[in-house]
Amino acid sequence: MSAAIASSELLLDARGLTKSLGGRVVVDGVDLTCARGEVLGLLGPNGAGKTTALRMCYGFLRPDAGSVRIAGHDLAREPDAARRRLGVCTQDDTFDPDFTVRGNLVQTGRYYRPRIANLPGRIEEVLQQFGLTEFADRTPDTLSGGFKRRLMIARSVLHRPEVAFLDEPTTGLDPQARVAVWELVASLRAAGMAVVLTTHYMEEAERLSDRLLVLHAGRVRAAGPPRAVLGAVVGEHIVVLPSVEGRDPVGAWLVQRGTVAARVLGQRHIALDAPGLASFVAAFPGLRYEVRAPTLDDLCLALADGPLA
Amino acid sequence: MNAYRTAFAWQSRAVLGRHVRVHLRKWHTALLPPVFEPVILLLAFGVGLGRQMGELDWGGRPVGYLAYLAPGILAYTAFMTAFFQSLFSAYIRMHFQKSWEGQLTTQVRLEHVIWGEALWAASMATAYAVFVCVVLAASGLAGALSLHWGWLALALPMVFLMALSFAALGLLFTAWLPSMDHMSLPFFLVIMPIGFASSTYFPLPDVPVLRHVVQVNPLHHMAEGLRWALLEGQATWHLAAAMGLCLLMLLVLLPIDMRLLRRRVFGDR
Repeated sequence: MSAAIASSELLLDARGLTKSLGGRVVVDGVDLTCARGEVLGLLGPNGAGKTTALRMCYGFLRPDAGSVRIAGHDLAREPDAARRRLGVCTQDDTFDPDFTVRGNLVQTGRYYRPRIANLPGRIEEVLQQFGLTEFADRTPDTLSGGFKRRLMIARSVLHRPEVAFLDEPTTGLDPQARVAVWELVASLRAAGMAVVLTTHYMEEAERLSDRLLVLHAGRVRAAGPPRAVLGAVVGEHIVVLPSVEGRDPVGAWLVQRGTVAARVLGQRHIALDAPGLASFVAAFPGLRYEVRAPTLDDLCLALADGPLA
Repeated sequence: MNAYRTAFAWQSRAVLGRHVRVHLRKWHTALLPPVFEPVILLLAFGVGLGRQMGELDWGGRPVGYLAYLAPGILAYTAFMTAFFQSLFSAYIRMHFQKSWEGQLTTQVRLEHVIWGEALWAASMATAYAVFVCVVLAASGLAGALSLHWGWLALALPMVFLMALSFAALGLLFTAWLPSMDHMSLPFFLVIMPIGFASSTYFPLPDVPVLRHVVQVNPLHHMAEGLRWALLEGQATWHLAAAMGLCLLMLLVLLPIDMRLLRRRVFGDR
């Protein structure tokens, strides 16, 4: 967690968010907070309610219950003031195809009041910051995937928001472009912005996020620093056992402990705490297996298929 | 009332400004339909067909077909332009270009986007109507047409209101149509019935049922109202009926548009 968070100035303060869509509760009493200079990673399997929760936070959806405050402004009661302080980069590219890269930024600038101070200067600054200067007079559809994403993020922060919502900002990008986006996200945090991002890339969430919030079936399953969240939901260690033919010595031990193993390509992934690992090592001295730290993949498997541990 | 107040919000003007800016950048292609469509219609129907037809009986008065047609074309152009803009163009911006979603990530809210689309459709329709007026004036200068010209300027605000109401109807289909494949439905459900039962291109036959049906068609009242104004220099109840029906359409349709489009765009009720 960065030093700025110590001031505990919450720029996003969403409480008790609840939303039903199509007669199904998609988000159920979720609290989302993000402080100045903090990156909050929102994780969960498909259908967990991440995008719906995010959409309530930036005003696309009206919560059935709960409230959202952006930099102190209630999104329902002071929509203009709250929206002036937030920036949104949606999953899909939503730039205006009728304008150039610069034109997109100019047009976006016209959608804000109070007006962005020195808009032409700010546009040049953003073009430079996001490495878009040489493409400024091209239309967005001629850009590569990585630069389209850069334009999307550039557009979302043009008006110097205090909270930025990035919904899967690196989906579909090659590794090089993804790293470039990571650096941009890090620069937003360094600039004091509160950044909320959703991602399917576990490495990305671990690297970028100061704090993770894991949603499952519309509810918060775990929240906190990445390692602590993994420990809470998955366990401290993952024992990876190759597939076994014939008599399985571990099966009975797992049943006795009430432990469920996840199956990945025939291998069993068993989440254990430190005493559990010690007990496993003692029980199977001659067995070949691998012990590794849990990853966010384990977390998603645990949430999708039931508990690992 | 909030649904109507947002028409005057700066965000609605910002969306309208975006459409104007895009259109002005493409002015050389954008100018072709409004200039050539009324010219072609007047030449083909007014001069070509009109020469074959001679004079029409309009409310017991003999009228040349070109003179009969001119006010009809003015009303019909506004109706068609507004409806098409708010249907096809808005649908493309909403569904394919996703430019609505881009706008909605800013301080612009859905009601502003909807008003921006409706105001743009009405503005464009009025601009097209201005081109029709120019073509009519040119016909007048050439001696082919004699109208009460002062009424042309007075007609434009009424044309704007009618276009706005048909834009609201177009947006209803934008919200309702499942896909582009269903775009032919509004032609059968709206354009053909309203267009044919409107006395824009020909006087309606004296059929009792039709006589009652056209009373709720704002295009019919607009065409007849403009005809009385431009040919006889008289303001008749048709204009008041057209304005009343258009206002009613706006009052009823816009809140429905907003509700349906919220469901369509956000999946929300």
